[in-house]
Amino acid sequence: MKLAKLIGCSCLLIVTTMVSAQGPPIFTDTPIMLGVQGRGVRTFGNIISKENANAYAQVLVVPYNITSKWQVAAVVPYVSISPNVGDSQSGFGDLKFFTKYQLYKKDGKGKTLRGLIKLTETFPTGNTSNSPPLGTDAYQTTLSLVNGYVTTKYGIYGEVGYNLAGSGLPDNLIYNIAFGYPLLPQKYPPNQLNVFLELNGNYVFDNVGNNLFLSPGIQYIAGRKLLFESGIQIPLAEAAPANQQTNYILRIGARLLIF
Amino acid sequence: MKKLFILLFIGLSALTVNAQNDDAQLQGTVKVEVDGLACPYCAYGLEKNLKKVEGVETIKIDVENGLAILTIAEGKSVDEKTIRKNIEDAGFTPKAITKKSDG
Repeated sequence: MKLAKLIGCSCLLIVTTMVSAQGPPIFTDTPIMLGVQGRGVRTFGNIISKENANAYAQVLVVPYNITSKWQVAAVVPYVSISPNVGDSQSGFGDLKFFTKYQLYKKDGKGKTLRGLIKLTETFPTGNTSNSPPLGTDAYQTTLSLVNGYVTTKYGIYGEVGYNLAGSGLPDNLIYNIAFGYPLLPQKYPPNQLNVFLELNGNYVFDNVGNNLFLSPGIQYIAGRKLLFESGIQIPLAEAAPANQQTNYILRIGARLLIF
Repeated sequence: MKKLFILLFIGLSALTVNAQNDDAQLQGTVKVEVDGLACPYCAYGLEKNLKKVEGVETIKIDVENGLAILTIAEGKSVDEKTIRKNIEDAGFTPKAITKKSDG
């Protein structure tokens, strides 16, 4: 099984590096707070398949640029969990607010190198009185650094963050890296087809372990104001106990520029 | 010492020229080099900010070459400083601004 995953991952890597795409990554954050990343709303559905349950999360992200360097945003998740044994639960999950501030920007012709600091606060708004719980029942604070180098030919994005979890939950280190390539010529108004290959990791302290996903994705930008995207997260390493592990997470989403 | 004065003079002259360029009034079709224009989806804010400039009639964004081509309405002129500021406010870096016929 592991060999098959490895072969599959290698093929995806080869395919995505052979083609020549870039837009905002699907799972990794971007330091570019422009276009749909700063003036629009984002929504996506996560279909989560686990060994002991299936879940669906519909997430709405509403960012607002106070200046071109400073952004605030709210993240509202609606969660539905169907365990293999027991009743299903649905409702709003933990609400998040984040703020991003651009630390540096080095622009060149057809390229930009940018970095920002991001502070995320999670509020325990998800109902935890029933099983399975819809939230973590903990206030959490995450401080991240997000960097990216984007050219008209490709984009490389990196994110590292430390999550301080409350209520006795273990802290964790978040690490993401993404590569993106455009399949169509770059023009404006955009008509872009982009492919991505991402590695999304989460190391949980207190001897819990490491979670690592390989996440290929595809994105279509239709004109000035609309973007569609989809990606799948395939687990390469998991800290969850046997029979609670993740099979895959499929994300389907859209971003709409409104401001 | 003489060299120092010459360098100081050249430096001040360059500053003066820059100041004059920033105050230049633009007419006709204008080519603006925009650094950091690396992705078409990012360019919406640039287009929107340039549209706010009074006198700018049309805007064409050329992502491949990092350019914004502006047409100034006939009989009107636009302050170069305003163009530069609106590009910076959009999150990009303005470079050379020339009349399109200049190349």
